[in-house]
Amino acid sequence: MLTLSSIDAYYGQSQALHGVSFDVAEGEILALLGRNGAGKTTTLRAIMGLNRVARGVVRFDGRVISGLPTHKIARAGVTLVPETRDAFSLLSVEENIRLGYRTGSPYTVERLLEMFPIIREFRLKKGGELSGGQQQLMVMARGLAMGPKLLLLDEPSQGLAPIMVNAVAEVLSALRRDRLTVILVEQNLRMALDVADRVVILEDGVAVDALSRAAALADPARVEKHLAVH
Amino acid sequence: MNKNLLALAAVVLLAVVAPMVIPISIANEIIVIAIFAMATNLVIGVAGLYSFGQAMFFGAGAYLTGYSLTAGGLSLVPSILIAIAGAAALAGIVGAVIIRRSGFYFMMLTFAFNQMAFYVVLVWSGVTGGEDGMAGIKRAPVGGLDLNDRSVFYAFCAVLFVASYVILRQIKKSPLGLVLEAAKENPRRMASLGYSVHGAQLAAFMISGAFAGLAGSLYVLLYRFVPIDSISWIMSGNVVFMVVIGGMSSMVGPIMGAAVFVWLQGLFSLLWAQWALLFGLFIIFVVFTLRGGLIELFKRVARIRRAGEAHHG
Repeated sequence: MLTLSSIDAYYGQSQALHGVSFDVAEGEILALLGRNGAGKTTTLRAIMGLNRVARGVVRFDGRVISGLPTHKIARAGVTLVPETRDAFSLLSVEENIRLGYRTGSPYTVERLLEMFPIIREFRLKKGGELSGGQQQLMVMARGLAMGPKLLLLDEPSQGLAPIMVNAVAEVLSALRRDRLTVILVEQNLRMALDVADRVVILEDGVAVDALSRAAALADPARVEKHLAVH
Repeated sequence: MNKNLLALAAVVLLAVVAPMVIPISIANEIIVIAIFAMATNLVIGVAGLYSFGQAMFFGAGAYLTGYSLTAGGLSLVPSILIAIAGAAALAGIVGAVIIRRSGFYFMMLTFAFNQMAFYVVLVWSGVTGGEDGMAGIKRAPVGGLDLNDRSVFYAFCAVLFVASYVILRQIKKSPLGLVLEAAKENPRRMASLGYSVHGAQLAAFMISGAFAGLAGSLYVLLYRFVPIDSISWIMSGNVVFMVVIGGMSSMVGPIMGAAVFVWLQGLFSLLWAQWALLFGLFIIFVVFTLRGGLIELFKRVARIRRAGEAHHG
């Protein structure tokens, strides 16, 4: 469904990705792992057109999307849930979610409020009044409301209280049941391996390893050596 | 009562009562300029685009109406429609060039385009009358209505004023308005949600241009004359003042801003020849004490009343 071929991308002035290639099959959850600064977020942003792809090609659904403006990539069916949470602070929770909704999306606002019981209680509050965890769930709900073919999730559990991490994990399991195609960037290795079908490891902007979930579980050291601090 | 209906009732009431309490010519100028201020609020308040070139569209409407009625020999309604379409088209052209710039650069570009428009009008004096403006404009009757009657002309403008309020308020509350307000907070995020932010902003710029053109057109009919000031950057600055004085949070704010601006300008000029100084002090006072504009006064009173009711209840 998505293919990255030898992507070079920049974070500000410095090159963050060096010839990164991988693909994601339809219905697959791919975990993108690596240390801080390895280029995980830049990869997601490059797919989304938020960071310019200087070299290489991104193909989605058989068509080249690298070089398209972000809103066109979004309309093609790619949705990014950024690490920065990005709630519209002046709009209510429900308005935030409605802003994402596209006609035909299987995730209607009502269904999302069922899927995310924690945010249902806060639906009339302003986005800016929510805690970090509540905002994270709301922004995930907004992303799903778009009815994406491919969901890019950037560190959804980062900095959250344990109860919120569980809520995020439940949503991830639901997405797995729905056979949604997802690229998950996650520091929490256990959570990533719980839901991912496959793992791609980045190190200093290079894709250094790719392995199945079974292989990662069988040989944890192979993954962990790329994640541990030197 | 529903808040929207209450605001609409207040706007209608203002339009009806104003000519009874102040001279009708001043009331008429207020409702015409209020259309201009509401149009400007769509760009500044709702979309967060700091345009200092709105007089370009007001002036375009003014000159197009003036030309259509005199040299063009057209009747009144087509002249107004040409003004609206022409101003919207001009906003479309200018907007297409500058909408991708943001903040300070956008502001400077609107200012630069306004100056260019001003010099075109100044130099092209064969058509525009240059510095002397365009005179000899007559209010042709519309469907049996004699618009030379001051009350009839006022009613004609008042209907367009209320209609403009309703339309612009609906646009503010529409999905387009929601996209604009959200994009003001973070445009990139809106792009990630699949919205073309520049497309929405350009649409708002053109709609604003269209209503500014309507206001310019009515202004010319009111004074039967097109002053070159109607397209000068001072006019652009004044309308921004009106929006700031009145408040940007609703379309009622700019109406209040326009009313106070036009009325105080008249009052201060009677008191002292250097009235602009008093006016400057008034604006500084509003900005320091009422950050949300005059509309904030009403909100504060409503809050105090609610608190009082809650206390007694």
